[in-house]
Amino acid sequence: MNGQLLKLESVTVTFGGVVALSEVTFSLESSELLGLIGPNGAGKTTALRSITGVVTPQHGTVTVAGHDLSGLSIQARARLGLGFSQQLVRPFFNLSLLDNVALAAGHAITRSPRRALFARDRSRQRAQALELLERVGIADAAASAPAELPLGYLKRLEVARALALSPRLLLLDEPLAGLNQQEARRLADTLRELNGDGLSMLLIEHNLSEVMRICARLVVLDNGRKIAEGVPGEVMSRADVRRAYLGESYAQA
Amino acid sequence: MLFLELFLQGLVQGSIYALIAIGLTLVYGLLRVLHVAHAGLFTLGGYLGVLVTNASGSLALAMLVAIAVVGSLGMAIYRLCYQPLLEKPPFVALIASIGLFIAMEELYRLIFGPYGMSYVQPPLQDVIVFAGLSLKLAELTTMAIALAAVVGLALLAGRTRLGLAWRASVTVPQMAASFGIDIVRIRYLNFFIASGLAAVAGVMVALLNNLVEPTMGSVPSYKALAIIVLGGLGNVRGTLLAALALGVIESYGTIYLGQLLDRDAIAFAFLIAVLMVRPQGLFGKR
Amino acid sequence: MLGLDAYHLSLITAVGISVGVALSLNLITGFCGQISLGHAAFYGTGAYCAALLTKAGVPFALGLASGALLAAVLGVVVGLASLRVRHDFLAITTMGVGFLFIGVVRQQDVLGGELGVSAIPDPGLGKAGFALLCVGFAAAVSAFSVYVKRSWMGFVFDAVASDEDTARVLGIDVPRYKLAAFALGTALAGLGGGLYAHNVKFIAPDSFGFVESITILAMVVIGGIGSVGGVVLAAVVLSLLPQWFQFIDDYKLLLYGGLLFAVMRFSPGGLAGATRAVLARMRGA
Repeated sequence: MNGQLLKLESVTVTFGGVVALSEVTFSLESSELLGLIGPNGAGKTTALRSITGVVTPQHGTVTVAGHDLSGLSIQARARLGLGFSQQLVRPFFNLSLLDNVALAAGHAITRSPRRALFARDRSRQRAQALELLERVGIADAAASAPAELPLGYLKRLEVARALALSPRLLLLDEPLAGLNQQEARRLADTLRELNGDGLSMLLIEHNLSEVMRICARLVVLDNGRKIAEGVPGEVMSRADVRRAYLGESYAQA
Repeated sequence: MLFLELFLQGLVQGSIYALIAIGLTLVYGLLRVLHVAHAGLFTLGGYLGVLVTNASGSLALAMLVAIAVVGSLGMAIYRLCYQPLLEKPPFVALIASIGLFIAMEELYRLIFGPYGMSYVQPPLQDVIVFAGLSLKLAELTTMAIALAAVVGLALLAGRTRLGLAWRASVTVPQMAASFGIDIVRIRYLNFFIASGLAAVAGVMVALLNNLVEPTMGSVPSYKALAIIVLGGLGNVRGTLLAALALGVIESYGTIYLGQLLDRDAIAFAFLIAVLMVRPQGLFGKR
Repeated sequence: MLGLDAYHLSLITAVGISVGVALSLNLITGFCGQISLGHAAFYGTGAYCAALLTKAGVPFALGLASGALLAAVLGVVVGLASLRVRHDFLAITTMGVGFLFIGVVRQQDVLGGELGVSAIPDPGLGKAGFALLCVGFAAAVSAFSVYVKRSWMGFVFDAVASDEDTARVLGIDVPRYKLAAFALGTALAGLGGGLYAHNVKFIAPDSFGFVESITILAMVVIGGIGSVGGVVLAAVVLSLLPQWFQFIDDYKLLLYGGLLFAVMRFSPGGLAGATRAVLARMRGA
């Protein structure tokens, strides 16, 4: 139990009779960078959403550092230390890139409306935001409006904004999608560095080469079930994983 | 007997609500716009009903003229007001519609005068007595028209190619467009039918009260909004049930709740109570 | 005050109240993005509460404060509704609250029923003193609005107005912020209502109906949703026009309705949005 930061136990989610996740159990150790992979429709995003609270499992439990999350609102989960970088980018279009991140960096202030009403100074949060934008490599666009920027910037904005919450667990839903190879590699390096500094992360990603490069351990889902778990090299060499994940042709190669 | 009389009166009122609200819910279903100006069209229907009947002596002719004119105006409102605003946040079209409605009411006041108009020789005033219950012919006609409108719409939607195209445009607009359905034509038709129904309701209300006045649309319009929410926005059957239910509830409520609330507030008390329990409306689906 | 005659003082008084009340709605609809079509109900609550209290002998200031408080309590209740329903549903719910308010007030003899409340006592400030008070009210609400916009609360409001769900992901307790917006906005509307009641000395249910709600909304929308300067300007102009030009008073609703339609159709950002667009174009050229 000790060291287990996130734990999913027999989590089952159905949407109108369709089983999206079935009895999925896995855990994430403190300071771990765990990759959650699987083909399209395997249930990865559903698993992530049952952690953030967007979907409610029919049964099973999700715990973070021993806290049962069931019944907690999305914002309460965020305040327990979950940072979430969404697959579909959702910037605040009326705020600059910098302010998007600064707002998240001010989480200690925004926690209570009363404190927010009596606080005005944003300079510290903006400085922190600028650092984070630099870290993910988009500081050049700090003053820009999100609507003016390409997807690659907005994907990295999602990551910076999640980091600004100083989460104890960072949940990343395909952060590399939409980036070119060079950008993806850079962001993956950044994620590895952050993990090296002790930040725990759960990473959903289709860019397998980057996943294999930075994750120490993988969990593989297929058709809503967990089919494998372990060190990347071992997991990826299993025939069932190759078949499920990479398709028949790859399995034979 | 009072109990039954009240029930019957409630159904008559509910039929009027249904005629107005069904058009509103059709528009919402297709465009996701709360078409407040719909009630301005209802009022215009009332004026045309009185004016044409008084001039020609024929209520039927008045009805046809009202449907044609008001239906066309409804299409014009879609073209000039809603179509350019569909990509904007929803409140934009809503506020534009409210502005349009207020301006319409004022125009009626300026054109037709503030004091209202009546039928010189109101038709359908005979009273029918059946099993101790009495009902004016006009009231019976109102219910018959509402019934015919609902059945007609159901047949149109369920039995014709046009209806199929229309339903597809409501539920899966992108796919409908890719199947070659002319969504814009469907929208015009939708506005014509919705506005035509409002015009008929206006003619009948003018007859029931034997009065049209510039503000006759205010109360029904807001109530119709409450009704379509109760019915589950965009849901025609739910809207019909909610309209009839509200008519009946008001009918009793005026007698039994009169000291607490005035008649026009009952709808909203009901609405707010329902929304707090079921935010998707009585008959809406999540 | 400044040697102004009674007519001009009454203009200033009316404008001051309008500006304050329009800005109070702007806090809810402009800053926090929660549309309200029933703001006159809160304005009316403040008016009735303050009027009845001062008629019963309560001091003017206490009457005003009680009106603001009662309006805020009602505002929080309606705010709770905004947690259940969004967008179109919220618009209709708040409109319903407006109808419910006059529907209830009309039937209560205690509240004067259809006839309203008359002979509301004079606060004893003199015409000039009262006008100054109303200008002070407008100035204070303006200053408060500017302050909120620049505070972290305004920062959060921007986020909530833009995308509630994402605000939640950032750990923001969206419901509490919405309630805060409703509480602040409706309290200020209640305060404005108390001032209005003691200005005209007579109030009736019809003064607080849908048309009044839309009049207030028109000021916010035409000025530019969320823009303090724009809303102040629109409130001043829209409340002065009918007073200056009697013929406009007859067409006041036509003007409001037409303007609401035209602004939404051609410049949904209102005067402020149009100004920004023009400035941007000039800078670009």
